[in-house]
Amino acid sequence: MKKRNYLYLLAILLFFLPIGMSVQAETVDSPIYDYAGLLTTDEVAQLKLQSSKLSEESETAFIIITADGTDGKDIVQYVQEFYDNHASEFEQFHGNAAILAIDMMERDIYLAGFKKAEDYLTDSRLDVIRNEITPDLSEGRYFAAFSGFINQAVHYMETEETAVIPPAEEQQNESGQTGSSEYENESAYEQTSETKNLFFEWWFQLIVSVALGGAVVGTMMLGSGGKVTVSSQTYNNQKTSAVLDKYDRFVRKTVTKQKKPSSNNKSSGGGGFTSGGHSHSGSRGKF
Amino acid sequence: MILHYKCPGCGSDMSFDAASGTISCNSCGRQENIENYPEQLVTALFEEDEVKEYHCNNCGADILTDAHTAATSCSFCGAGVVLADRLSGNLAPVKVIPFKLSREEATKAFQKWCKKGRLTPKGFMNADRIKSITGLYVPFWLYDLNSRVQVNAVGTKVRTYTSGDYIYTETSYFDAFRDINLDYIKVPVDASEKMNDQLMDKLEPYEYGELKEFKTPYLAGYIAEKYNYTEGELLPRAKHKINSYIDSYISQTLGGYRTVTYKDKQIDTRSVKSDYVLLPVWMMSYDFEQKEHIFAMNGQTGKIIGKPPISKRKAFMWFSGVAGGTFFAMKCFSFIVGGGFW
Repeated sequence: MKKRNYLYLLAILLFFLPIGMSVQAETVDSPIYDYAGLLTTDEVAQLKLQSSKLSEESETAFIIITADGTDGKDIVQYVQEFYDNHASEFEQFHGNAAILAIDMMERDIYLAGFKKAEDYLTDSRLDVIRNEITPDLSEGRYFAAFSGFINQAVHYMETEETAVIPPAEEQQNESGQTGSSEYENESAYEQTSETKNLFFEWWFQLIVSVALGGAVVGTMMLGSGGKVTVSSQTYNNQKTSAVLDKYDRFVRKTVTKQKKPSSNNKSSGGGGFTSGGHSHSGSRGKF
Repeated sequence: MILHYKCPGCGSDMSFDAASGTISCNSCGRQENIENYPEQLVTALFEEDEVKEYHCNNCGADILTDAHTAATSCSFCGAGVVLADRLSGNLAPVKVIPFKLSREEATKAFQKWCKKGRLTPKGFMNADRIKSITGLYVPFWLYDLNSRVQVNAVGTKVRTYTSGDYIYTETSYFDAFRDINLDYIKVPVDASEKMNDQLMDKLEPYEYGELKEFKTPYLAGYIAEKYNYTEGELLPRAKHKINSYIDSYISQTLGGYRTVTYKDKQIDTRSVKSDYVLLPVWMMSYDFEQKEHIFAMNGQTGKIIGKPPISKRKAFMWFSGVAGGTFFAMKCFSFIVGGGFW
């Protein structure tokens, strides 16, 4: 009786195994983990379609995770563990994966690139992408943000790292944060024609040069007449000069407080290693 | 009364020699130590404003001086003479710093200095048109000043710390008091009407270690002036000179605060002592392109003051060199880091 039961159970399991496998296989093609339930079924389907098509072209899995709390883990750790636990699912892409994770509770966002995506989606490129999509996330346009992430990630996956050229459609994106964020991007390698630093403008260079030239000649002219070379120490008799009496009485104290500037535009830390030993690039922030 | 120094050996004119610090004979080279020279000036009393005609002891010619000259050379025979009555009584200097640089050394140092100017025209650099070089003892008052300072101020200290999502700025206010005694010794103020105050201020500092008891032979062969302003008249200027020193001392004693606001600042400066001294200055006059340029040299340390002419061509070359170089360097930098050359 017991034996038969076991066999029966085994048969059922064997029967369901291919189904389970096929379900698993499907999630590889459409890796949208909407734990926080931010997307409609329709939107999930659209994103799946978009990502599976692009995944095949670039041999990279584009994974989107929305979480409502991460069990007290840091979002970076959360993503690392996620990658380790789901590593088998990315095997068809040789482990290449670009991950977008958001945590609704902490309002954290983290972008990570693994394997091939680590090479192409560098920390600074991920910063650029994150800055592009953060306004959409802040205003609750999750679908637009996720779709934008996949598009941009694919774009960079096809471009060698010489310059960050935003995809055509993103240039029309009039997000106020784009402009300011570009200036914060310290790496001059990442400058684009659109986001030119003031230092590279010819007129700015001209002004600096003329000002410096004028200052040098001006100093020479002023210095040519001779300088005063006595100081406050020259005639001071230090033996007899002293503070005879003093007091410092505490009177009162005022405290003002100010909210910490939001770290939206700041890249912090970047990549790291998972406990499974996979290195990755990364960019985190708040939305 | 005219003092004229004749060599006891050969009867020639004697004058002060900067190199040896003695009075020496121009023809036989005999040197006499000045510090042992008998001096009768302090006891001799003359009327200050007495109108006098001076006749050279050497040749008998009239000596032409203006009212403030205390030592000069006879314009006829060239002998160095000291007008003793302009250096006695109230007008007797207490101390003197003798010339340390001789006329030749001063000329050489000046020529060298002319070559150094980066904006000086080439023609000026030759230093071949020095019109005159005059050794001048300028009257100074040296003030010993005592300042008593009492300051009441509000000082703040600021501490910032972070707690949670907020940055806290904690400002503590202190009532600070300082009672300071400050002594400034031998603050020099020039007492001659003719000398430009700013020029004289820049000639400082003099090494006071070489201050000597005043003796008239130090003036032989040079021009000396008597003071035009009394110690009382110049005390405000002396106080003004040390004001910035006092302020910097006060703020130094309140250095621990982020900001300091003075509520009450009382500075009481008194003159403890003032000495009338003569300090050595070489005055140089240089003709360049129909203009006379005046330079002054500290006769003790050799420091030179005065504005040399400025060559427009050199100024332009420096300007374009620096500006062009900077522009090119910035272009190169932007090219290297990938910003493109244009």
